[in-house]
Amino acid sequence: MPEVRIIAKNFMDMVASLPATKLDNLYHNAFICEAILRSLPPLAKKYVLQMLYIIEPIVTTSMEAWVAAEGMSKHRVAIDKLVQLRLFTETVDRKRETTYRLNPTFQKNLQNHILHGGVLPREPMKINVRLPSSADLDAYASGQWESFLLHLISSTEAEATRNISSSMMKIFQRGLLSQRDREAPMLTESGFQFLLMDTNAQLWYVIREYITHCEERGVDTSDLISFLLELSFHVSGEAYNMNTLSHSQGSIVKDLADLGLVKLQQGMKESWFIPTKLAINLSISLSDASSRKQGYVVVETNFRLYAYTTSKLHCEILRLFARIEYQLPNLIVGAITKENLYKAFQNGITSDQIICFLQQNAHPRVAEKVPSVPENVTDQIRLWESDLNRVEMTPSHLYDEFPSRDAFEAACDFAREYGGLLWEDSVKMRVIVKAETYDHMKRFLRQK
Amino acid sequence: MTPVSRKLYTDDVSLLVVLIDTNPYFWSTNNSGLPYSKFLSHLVAFLNSILLLNQLNQVVGIATGVNSCGYIYDSSLAPPNKRAETLLQKLEEFVIKDEELSAEDSVDGIKSSLLSGSLSMALCYIQRVLRSGSLHPQPRILCLHGSPDGPGQYVAVMNSIFSAQRSMLPIDSCVIGAQHSAFLQQASHITGGIYSKPQQLDGLFQYLSTLFATDLHSRSFIQLHKSVGVDFRASCFCHKSTIDMGYICSVCLSIFCKPHKKCSTCGSTFGQPQATVSPTNLKRKAPDS
Repeated sequence: MPEVRIIAKNFMDMVASLPATKLDNLYHNAFICEAILRSLPPLAKKYVLQMLYIIEPIVTTSMEAWVAAEGMSKHRVAIDKLVQLRLFTETVDRKRETTYRLNPTFQKNLQNHILHGGVLPREPMKINVRLPSSADLDAYASGQWESFLLHLISSTEAEATRNISSSMMKIFQRGLLSQRDREAPMLTESGFQFLLMDTNAQLWYVIREYITHCEERGVDTSDLISFLLELSFHVSGEAYNMNTLSHSQGSIVKDLADLGLVKLQQGMKESWFIPTKLAINLSISLSDASSRKQGYVVVETNFRLYAYTTSKLHCEILRLFARIEYQLPNLIVGAITKENLYKAFQNGITSDQIICFLQQNAHPRVAEKVPSVPENVTDQIRLWESDLNRVEMTPSHLYDEFPSRDAFEAACDFAREYGGLLWEDSVKMRVIVKAETYDHMKRFLRQK
Repeated sequence: MTPVSRKLYTDDVSLLVVLIDTNPYFWSTNNSGLPYSKFLSHLVAFLNSILLLNQLNQVVGIATGVNSCGYIYDSSLAPPNKRAETLLQKLEEFVIKDEELSAEDSVDGIKSSLLSGSLSMALCYIQRVLRSGSLHPQPRILCLHGSPDGPGQYVAVMNSIFSAQRSMLPIDSCVIGAQHSAFLQQASHITGGIYSKPQQLDGLFQYLSTLFATDLHSRSFIQLHKSVGVDFRASCFCHKSTIDMGYICSVCLSIFCKPHKKCSTCGSTFGQPQATVSPTNLKRKAPDS
């Protein structure tokens, strides 16, 4: 099974890792230019804007004059990012100085945008059907997303209302669940971490998996990425005709509807899709905190936990590290106990993740307080985690019965040189060496 | 660990309130090579670029007229594909209404725009945003001002500046007129904003995008234009003229260009100049202490 690393903000890295020609092709789409610009670090955005109407390449030294001394590291990060995304082309001029200029296609698209303002990818439909209100749409999106997540973690929990194809579900579950034959699937370490992430990060993880899935089926990734980014520039709550989509885009939209990114509706003659907030959030700069939801958890100093929620998913998430005691229609009462936390730590969840989750989802009433989670609880969670790490195991080998003191000392020195010496007892002539250096030791001792 | 709930948005999300000078007296006499139409196209491009930088950025436009001020644009309300149209239409409506007002009370000599009015409107708007819930971007004010300062607005402008300073709102100012503006120099100086008077107005967009599009977070590590000097001169409260030296009421700090018997602001009576009648002064002070 391939190891899946969960990183929240790596969509742009994925874009950057596309081959150069594909990347250059992407910039022909104005929406991609916009989305990419928005994903840049602030300083890089500023440079792009500043150089928007400059055609001549700019020398590095004069760019460095723009920033103050303390901003130099940020400057370098910004320039690296711009070069990596091929927004800046780097050339060395006659005087052997490095110069940069903006990618011409990108530049032209942005200039257009600035002159004419934003354009919509497609015109909303004029239909005389009452469209869902934005509150309804939000409820639909979060409902759809939650049941998707619930389905993801426990296929048995969710009712049979889901119609995501099981093959696609498998794709998403890969890496998050591990299944030993015949046994019920178990969440993996990254699966647990996934559940504790905020919606935007989860969304990007799923979308990334989806893109890789499509890639395996032979769909062009750059088309898919450009469509996804384009989707995020639609107006939430407006209806768009399905006829404006190409065949492959139509099937993508159907998949996305299962995730709650769009809502599909069928009229008398035509069908249309309505993008939800989730879709619009796709292109928001992928920062961790940009889509904060209302919190629901109250933690008391006596380790009791009250969660004002009706969602089954929240209950499942809390169950990861707390003992659920009562489940009332709109309230879950639980306790953070040592046993449950040990179970969580064994599953690979760290104390920081749990604390961070509790803080991020704190009920508005307690969120105003500093700290939002009582300090004795956070300290205790950290202490329990460090309890587990009190003993550190290092695989090693013990050598004894050296023929002479010289041989013993030579062996010690050798092990020390390799950084593998753990312990030595010069009286009884015994030495313990890390398992990694075993081969070297064997060779060394044999030579003697 | 910093509390997570404090950090609500990325650092570079901004709410920009732009004060646009629509003073017809200024624009008709302006011969610096920047006609009003050109100015507006630079402005629209600038607003577009601000909105381009971040999906959550918000721009609010306030027109500074001669007789009135008005909200003319709010990016959170206008559809993204009709930004320029909405802005220009509202601007035109505003200018016509402003002109009607001036016909009614034809006080001659009004040549300055109501900077104080638009500044207070901007402050009110920002206060409303700041108080409406926990999610808010970092606000700042940008004055695009051309017409000369109106010394009559001195107190009002200074009060706005101080309240902006109290709520830590930087006031950026871009002077497009012929002379420097002492008001705006002081505003930017006190609130920590940027003051700039572009030399070549046909490149206004470049000035705007280089200096004023910088978000507050990035400002700390970017070399920005440093202002040459600040004109700290005040206006007197009696004749509203700008003065270098004057008389100050020791009770309420009102400024006068000539000595008075009584402060017109707080009503305290002044003694006579020291050199002539110091004994009376002492006598009057004695019962008080």
